[in-house]
Amino acid sequence: MTDTLLSPEPSLRQSEGLFRVRQLLDNVEARPAPSLIAEPAKLNPPPSKAYFFWLMAPAILLLACISLYPFFWMIYMSLHDVEIGSATWNNFENFTRLVTDTRYLKGWTLLFQYSLMCLALQIGIGVFLAVVLNGSRFEKILVTTLLMPMMMAPIVAGLVWYFLYNGTFGWYHWLFQSVGLLDAKSILASPGTAMLGIVLVDVWQWTPLITLITLAGLKRVPQDQLEANMVDGASPLRNFFSITLPNLYPVLLIAVMLRFMDNFRFIDSALVLTGGGPGNATKILPIYLFEVSFKFFKLGRGAAIALTLLVVTIILGMILVKVFDRQQTRKS
Amino acid sequence: MARVTFRNVWKKYGEFAAVKDLNIDCPDGSFLSILGPSGCGKSSTMRMVAGLEHISAGDILFDDRRINDLAPKDRDVAMVFENYALYPHKSVFENMANPLKLRGQEGARIKDRVTQAAKLLEIGHLLERRPQELSGGQKQRVAIGRAIVREPKLFLFDEPIAHLDAKLRAHMRGEIKHMQRTLGTTMVYVTHDQLEAMSMADQIAVMHEGELQQLGSPREVYNKPVNAWVAGFVGEPAMNFLTCEITNAGGKLMLTHPDFALALKPEQMKCLNGAGTAATVRMGVRPDALAISMTRPAEPAITGKVFVNELLGGDMIVEVELADARIRVKTAPEFAGAPGEACYVTVNRDKWHAFDAVTGKAFF
Amino acid sequence: MASRDVVRYETPLTRGFRWFSAVFIALYLVWTLLPIFVMFVSSFKDLLEAFKIPAVGDWSGIGVFFDFTPTLKHYRDLFLNLDFSRYMANSLVAAGGSAVISVILGSMAAYSLSRIDFKGKSDLFFWIISTRMAPVVAVMVPLYAIFRSLDLVGTLPGLILAYTTFNLPFAIWILKGFFDNVPYAIEEAQMVDGATRFQAFMAILPLVAPGIGAFIVLCILFAWNDFLFAAIIGSGGAKTLPVATRELVQPQNIQWGSIMAAGVVTTLPMMLLGLVIRRYLVTGLTMGAVKE
Repeated sequence: MTDTLLSPEPSLRQSEGLFRVRQLLDNVEARPAPSLIAEPAKLNPPPSKAYFFWLMAPAILLLACISLYPFFWMIYMSLHDVEIGSATWNNFENFTRLVTDTRYLKGWTLLFQYSLMCLALQIGIGVFLAVVLNGSRFEKILVTTLLMPMMMAPIVAGLVWYFLYNGTFGWYHWLFQSVGLLDAKSILASPGTAMLGIVLVDVWQWTPLITLITLAGLKRVPQDQLEANMVDGASPLRNFFSITLPNLYPVLLIAVMLRFMDNFRFIDSALVLTGGGPGNATKILPIYLFEVSFKFFKLGRGAAIALTLLVVTIILGMILVKVFDRQQTRKS
Repeated sequence: MARVTFRNVWKKYGEFAAVKDLNIDCPDGSFLSILGPSGCGKSSTMRMVAGLEHISAGDILFDDRRINDLAPKDRDVAMVFENYALYPHKSVFENMANPLKLRGQEGARIKDRVTQAAKLLEIGHLLERRPQELSGGQKQRVAIGRAIVREPKLFLFDEPIAHLDAKLRAHMRGEIKHMQRTLGTTMVYVTHDQLEAMSMADQIAVMHEGELQQLGSPREVYNKPVNAWVAGFVGEPAMNFLTCEITNAGGKLMLTHPDFALALKPEQMKCLNGAGTAATVRMGVRPDALAISMTRPAEPAITGKVFVNELLGGDMIVEVELADARIRVKTAPEFAGAPGEACYVTVNRDKWHAFDAVTGKAFF
Repeated sequence: MASRDVVRYETPLTRGFRWFSAVFIALYLVWTLLPIFVMFVSSFKDLLEAFKIPAVGDWSGIGVFFDFTPTLKHYRDLFLNLDFSRYMANSLVAAGGSAVISVILGSMAAYSLSRIDFKGKSDLFFWIISTRMAPVVAVMVPLYAIFRSLDLVGTLPGLILAYTTFNLPFAIWILKGFFDNVPYAIEEAQMVDGATRFQAFMAILPLVAPGIGAFIVLCILFAWNDFLFAAIIGSGGAKTLPVATRELVQPQNIQWGSIMAAGVVTTLPMMLLGLVIRRYLVTGLTMGAVKE
């Protein structure tokens, strides 16, 4: 019996014909004697990682002070009736009251309604725009132009749009009226359309982000798959749905999660545009929370609401990180 | 310059031992090559010498001084990395000057040393370039240049030429060996390429699965492998192995295989004493210790059929099919046997090895 | 090498699609640029001129938009009467300060996180990034309480610290990705060459410098554009541009001219910065999840 091949590495590298490879598969014998070496009697002391921990420490400590500490404060407050200078335990009342607080529950519904409307429009327009722009002659300059809204402070965006929506001198209002979409009442003034009003601002500001993300994703759609599919007889449209779109899902998922969380995070423009009104038509949860805490100064209840909002955001964040990790590992 | 001693060195990653109880003594000014397949622990060994990896157990000594707890910068070694690890934002000159600068040498002297080293490596015209503007071979020279600008106690080369093409590799082998001889600095050279180790080293340490298999001169490792694994790993084309029996024919020990029988020489018999008769051994014989002919020779020969011929320019490797095995024979390119034809293989009786069939340990 | 573009074959359908997409892009551009354009133009209009609008359905009346005599009085007003230069300085110090602190501390932490492994590292990492995800309104109440007890409310250091709550985790998260891309061998080579660990860390900084620069800018952008922190933590002594702009909206008297001018002052620098770091924008805005 031969076993010419004891070490796979050098022989494979200097491959000398099919036969040796076959022999390699046939012969997995010839190992050296099993190790008889005893474990070492004494290990050297482990290396110190102190240096790295010291480098890390300032950032971690600072973060703990300005985020972990407030977090525990929030939990404490949520369990108490908080007045200026005093806090009394109230037996989870802040939480139990939430269940019957219709404006709180409505806040969640409106928040999701708002987010979903924003996302649907942003994804629809953003992806289409990216597909159309991709590889076009003007891609660079157009994309750069599209970036501009994202750089604007949301509060300023809100103010500018408030101006444009205005019922007496707003140009957009004039436009809506002229094409017969609205009567004399401004879009923000009637409960039926106010939500759309704040959604449009978010769409205006953040659709370009979806476009940018999609463009980045499009650049990474494997060209060979598209070509193979085309040679197999697929039309461009079919190519898009069977190759391009599936390849975009991961980035789109990230985009969706990010926008979702930002809709939870930022209320600047909505605060200026409607402040939750008319009535409670646009009182999405963060705005309601803002009112409870900073208008009525019910800090305990505010903390309880904040906590629930935080938990949902963190869960979304965990999903995002999972998706992100999966993408990382797939790349490598 | 320094003598390097490994004393019961271990490298453990959690439960996994990458290096087990390593003992090597590398004399001052000599060239030690650590040879083994990937994952055998050779790189871990080198990185422990450099101080980039913690020594889990045991000690490493430079000139009898324990250096376990010294930071890399205090060990005074110079290292060439597998992927060169050049600083991409610095010019070739700055790359080579870096170790001198870090040691606070003055500008004029740095310039002097770098120019000198660049001249030695024939990269004087590249000093202003950035690493990304260099070819693989040039990068490798810069990496070596960075190592030789100062006079370290020890050179550590981690597969420095593995990524070059075959021709350049052969060229660099000669240059590195020449350089080490000229500078006289102790060298530890890690490689998985037995040709590199054989051609350059004073001593080869063959490692497998974290264990040192054999430590010896290239000649010893090639001619007197301590076990079947080393025998199979070193040498190209690789050694042939045949499982044989030792039979006693009237006081004379014979090596018997279904296809042939070979009488042992007295000194070989002595080595086998412990094994006694009727024991199974594995016979190992290098392709160049075999001779092939198409006509039956006078001495006892193995009968087989030509399986395939591989012409390697100056040599020809013939694969011969036996009843239940295949062996490779090195011969002159003039050999004219066609596949399928009967042929006869004779063994050089001085140049074969017997290994324990179970442990792989060499009898001779 | 295969060409980068897929060969396209003309059919009536694709030609139609091309036309449709050209029109779509044109409309989208108008929609994107119009608010910005209106903001710019209105900031140069006198109040009454800004309110001029044609009758409903009078399409030819659009021309009245351009019917005005440009004036700089709103800008003059902002800087001479309304103290906007101070608010601008506040914005600059608060945003710049938090960006610098975040990037310095962040790069140290990110480097360590990138280079060592320890138990609970992924949990620590998730905690870091989750602090960035937290809704601003949710963390505001306890943060305000703490800052008030430390007398930080209404001060620039307080605002810098508040901005650091979201810029620091962002910096750690993004910079870790940068350091992960620098081969460890380069530091090892440095150390063998004779560098201390800290020198080795400093030596690889130039490799991540462009990224670090871009992320200082991004941190500035996030802080500069913030409203809620500035309104609550910075209120009073540390008023920033967005807050000052918002305050121009008074119940009885909305000074649109000044608001538009303030909007321009707030927006223009950020748009220019955005162009400068264009290459890193997607990575930054997606927290490193998408790379261009």
